[in-house]
Amino acid sequence: MQDKEQTGIVFNMQKYSVHDGAGIRTMVFFKGCPLRCAWCSNPESQRPQPERGFSRYRCLSPAVCGYCIPACPRGCILDIEGLLAIDYTRCDGCLLCAQACPTGAMNVYGQRLTVAEVLETVEQDTVFYARSGGGMTLSGGEVMQQPEFAVALLREARHRRINTAMETCGHCDGDMLAEACRHLDSLIFDIKQLDSERHKQGTGVGNERILENFLRVCREFPELPILARTPVIPGFNDTEDDIRAIARFLPKRANLRYELLPYHRMGQAKYEFLGRAFPMGGAQLADGALNRLRSVALAR
Amino acid sequence: MTTCCLSPQEVRLQSPEPDKAGRERVYGILETFQYQVPFIDVERARYFTESMRATEGQLLALRWAKALKNCAEKMTVYITPNQLIAGRAGQFGRYGILYPEIDGDFYGVVMRDLPNRAKSPFRISDTDINIILDEIAPYWEGKTYHEHLNGALPEELRNVTYADDSGLKSKFVVSETSSYRSALQWVHDYEKVLSRGMLDIQAEMRTRLKRLDPDSPIDNWEKKPFLEAMVIVCDAFMIWAKRHADLAREQAAAEKNPARKQELLRLADICERVPAHPARTFHEAVQSQWFVQMFSRIEQKASAIISNGRMDQYFYPYYAKDLAEGRITEERAMELLECMWVEMAQFIDLYINPTGNEFNEGYAHWEAVTIGGQTPDGHDATNDLTYLFLRSKREFPLNYPDLATRIHSRSPERFLYEVAETIKDGSGFPKLINDEEIVPLYVAKGAPFRDALDYAVSGCTEARMPNRDTYTSGCVYINFATAMEMTMHNGRMLKYGQDDLVGLETGDPTTFTTWERFWEAYKAQHMNLLSKAFTQQYVVDCLRPQHFASPFASVLHDLCVEDCKDLQSPRIEGGVDFSYFEFLGYGTVVDSLAAVKKLVFEDRKVTMAELVAALQNDFEGYEPLRALMQSAPCYGNNLPYADAIAKEVDRMTQVFAEKYSRIRGINCDVRYVPITSHVPFGKVVSATPNGRKAWTALSDGSSASHGADHNGPTAVLLSNYNSKNCDLKNRASRLLNIKLSPKCVSGEAGTRKLVDIIRSWCDLKLWHLQFNIINKETLLKAKADPNKYRGLLVRIAGYSSYFCDLSPDLQDDVINRTEHDEM
Repeated sequence: MQDKEQTGIVFNMQKYSVHDGAGIRTMVFFKGCPLRCAWCSNPESQRPQPERGFSRYRCLSPAVCGYCIPACPRGCILDIEGLLAIDYTRCDGCLLCAQACPTGAMNVYGQRLTVAEVLETVEQDTVFYARSGGGMTLSGGEVMQQPEFAVALLREARHRRINTAMETCGHCDGDMLAEACRHLDSLIFDIKQLDSERHKQGTGVGNERILENFLRVCREFPELPILARTPVIPGFNDTEDDIRAIARFLPKRANLRYELLPYHRMGQAKYEFLGRAFPMGGAQLADGALNRLRSVALAR
Repeated sequence: MTTCCLSPQEVRLQSPEPDKAGRERVYGILETFQYQVPFIDVERARYFTESMRATEGQLLALRWAKALKNCAEKMTVYITPNQLIAGRAGQFGRYGILYPEIDGDFYGVVMRDLPNRAKSPFRISDTDINIILDEIAPYWEGKTYHEHLNGALPEELRNVTYADDSGLKSKFVVSETSSYRSALQWVHDYEKVLSRGMLDIQAEMRTRLKRLDPDSPIDNWEKKPFLEAMVIVCDAFMIWAKRHADLAREQAAAEKNPARKQELLRLADICERVPAHPARTFHEAVQSQWFVQMFSRIEQKASAIISNGRMDQYFYPYYAKDLAEGRITEERAMELLECMWVEMAQFIDLYINPTGNEFNEGYAHWEAVTIGGQTPDGHDATNDLTYLFLRSKREFPLNYPDLATRIHSRSPERFLYEVAETIKDGSGFPKLINDEEIVPLYVAKGAPFRDALDYAVSGCTEARMPNRDTYTSGCVYINFATAMEMTMHNGRMLKYGQDDLVGLETGDPTTFTTWERFWEAYKAQHMNLLSKAFTQQYVVDCLRPQHFASPFASVLHDLCVEDCKDLQSPRIEGGVDFSYFEFLGYGTVVDSLAAVKKLVFEDRKVTMAELVAALQNDFEGYEPLRALMQSAPCYGNNLPYADAIAKEVDRMTQVFAEKYSRIRGINCDVRYVPITSHVPFGKVVSATPNGRKAWTALSDGSSASHGADHNGPTAVLLSNYNSKNCDLKNRASRLLNIKLSPKCVSGEAGTRKLVDIIRSWCDLKLWHLQFNIINKETLLKAKADPNKYRGLLVRIAGYSSYFCDLSPDLQDDVINRTEHDEM
């Protein structure tokens, strides 16, 4: 199969991204993630298959609309005292309800696209990449959960002279990650916690594979600019010791930068759309914590 | 989205006092008038009328010149306390003046309502109302252009133009705008006055008089009185200026404060010198320019007020010389400029006509100052003064002047960087105008390269060539959203009822079985409006020269002087005529067509009968249908489905324009610049198939429908580009607004990204771009608590206004524009 015919599941493409990599970029979000971070701001990215989201704010109410109710073959969509409710225990994810919805209150996260289709959208903004040094950034979910698709996409993008960047959590097959790096102009690699036990508590997996992959990429791709990133999460890695440990772990090389991202709750609404509870509750970073931690990170 | 980052303007609003250090003078002047309800000053109207009464029968330009001389001799002259420049057209504070030659016939109807009207009210004394009603209005009754036009329009044209017999109320379908202004927005050749002085210009007129053929009937009957008018208007202008010198000397004699006494004596010397003689210093140049623009306002109501031209170019030699010779500092030059800005801010473009007022809410006026761009021989034109204008706009963020930057492919990085920094400040300035679109387009339309390269921005987005442009009529505004409505209701509009066939009977849409049939029906309605509009504009062009003359503008225009014709004449030798017609509701029409095509004829999810019923009921009880219609592809998202329709709509419009431009020998071009009129034009249009509710605002300029653009700013720009027909030339400006939250452009990296967007916009050869860097929360708070946000500037169409001066409708309009941010 040619690269441009490869397919994968993408849950969003976002133009004019100005905070992830150089210049004006288009983000391509891959669906599916091996981690289950409690703070995840893209919960719709976690499961590998397309799934339904439901926003009650956009719903016209079953009395006015209700198109989705007869559309469900299993009778999972209910009118409970004038409000729409979904019986998640019986839903088999057929998505017929979302297809019937006129308002977009029910929408589908995730669509199967070919490499050519993704790049057609990405290439719409080439006039902006040319001036800004921007390009395409792959994100997720976890890009390397769909390794063949990722590699094909990166290879074809490079063939078309599109600048490429990729974000990864690092929990993936090392050989495939190395293959992807061959077609990358820069890599953004999350290191969340050096203590494997605590890493597991926060994300569902230990960090051994992640750290091993990180060192391997550093070793095998000395020319590849790498941005190591730590999302600072209250109660998980927001102490000076946590950050100092990560900063000390990072190898010394000129094209490796380290950046802290502050925890935010922007994704909270999406948990509700998916019918899930937001695991972080009302937790917030302490005032001034980020600046203090940034000075620790800088001292590496 | 939470507010996580404030623009500097928002920070200033939250702090009680602006930083006034070094700007005590201009802030002092500003505080005397800033939030005042403006006054009406009647002197101009009074002395203008007095003279016109006495000169009936003479050549109009000559009568106008004499009337100006009467005004120059009799109007009270003022020097604003503490000002460094002199020259007002009326009393202290915020004020407007009257032009009864335009609208004197209905002063009786509207004058007493002005203080109470909801939008942009004015104050006037009872004594002055009596002067207006007893002395001024009676003379003009039966004589105004407006009455002439109302009487001249054939019934089928009148019916799409006016909603009442007197022609006072617009129907908002095919609206004429020529009857509430005496000329289009304009730019003078200020440089001519600065470098030559009026005495030299007047001497040239005398020489031309002497050279006339004493036996030629044309010379005797047309050219001679015209040139006499030129001589008189030069006198008028110099008399008026000299009276300011005398006043300054009088005030100096009475002044106790020695520093101010010196200032006044110096001002007296300067007003003695200019505009009669060439300016020698920066201060003289600023004063001379200011006299020209103020006297120009006394002459006529040019739409949006006379523009300032390329100020960084014609002031630069004086600034550079003063700096080199140690006569001036950067700070002093900036103070002089800011003295001009605070004077500008006080003169309000008063609209007596309620329709005109709807078009220009928030006391809007646009004295565009153009900076940057290219020299007439095609090199980059930025200089030290260019940067001084930008600095002044950042540090003293008044909404006057309307700063316009010309951008080209080789604009220096520093220039773009400082432009981006200024935009980030959040008050909306400067707007960006693209040389890469305008210069070649103007050459294609008949301008010499040299003039095209030297264009100045005028009004909100137009470009003028001061010695080449010769078209002055206010132009027609066409509400194409009504064509959409009339397609759905067989030529009728819900607003005007079943008995009023406003458009064509294109048939009951429920009988249309194909998209092609529907498209043909829309096209017929669209073309009918175009045809009406072009005929209306031709009537306007034929009648106006009988009512208006501009001797002062003419004496400053090379071609008028050469051809001995007033600028208001229908045809001037060597001139290029840029007429336009306004396309209202572009996004509304395109999105409606796309929704009908997709959901009714392709997906067949909605029947035409359901849609018609939904529209008649303003979607009440049809909410799911409305949601479906809104889910169709929309213009502004870089979607080929909608953009292709947008391009075709633009194309058929331009093809029509091309044919009748050619026949008329002028450029009659489609323009997408609504100013604030997309709000009143929306008020006559019932629900549209794109899900827009009845009577709400139409889409704005060439921007997307409100909230319909959700693919980010790059998609907005690309849709604009995709919908253009680059192979046709009957296009004029396209106004494009992009609102960004401060977070999007924060920090050094944010500035960089803004520069990148501007460069890409320049590459795309789009005409205009302006940014609104503001948080939605701030706007909502300002609407709820106007007193706390009095100083909040927002960008609306081609200018900035105080948000709290706007009606709640328009405030909502600003709030509802999509804010592009990232998650």
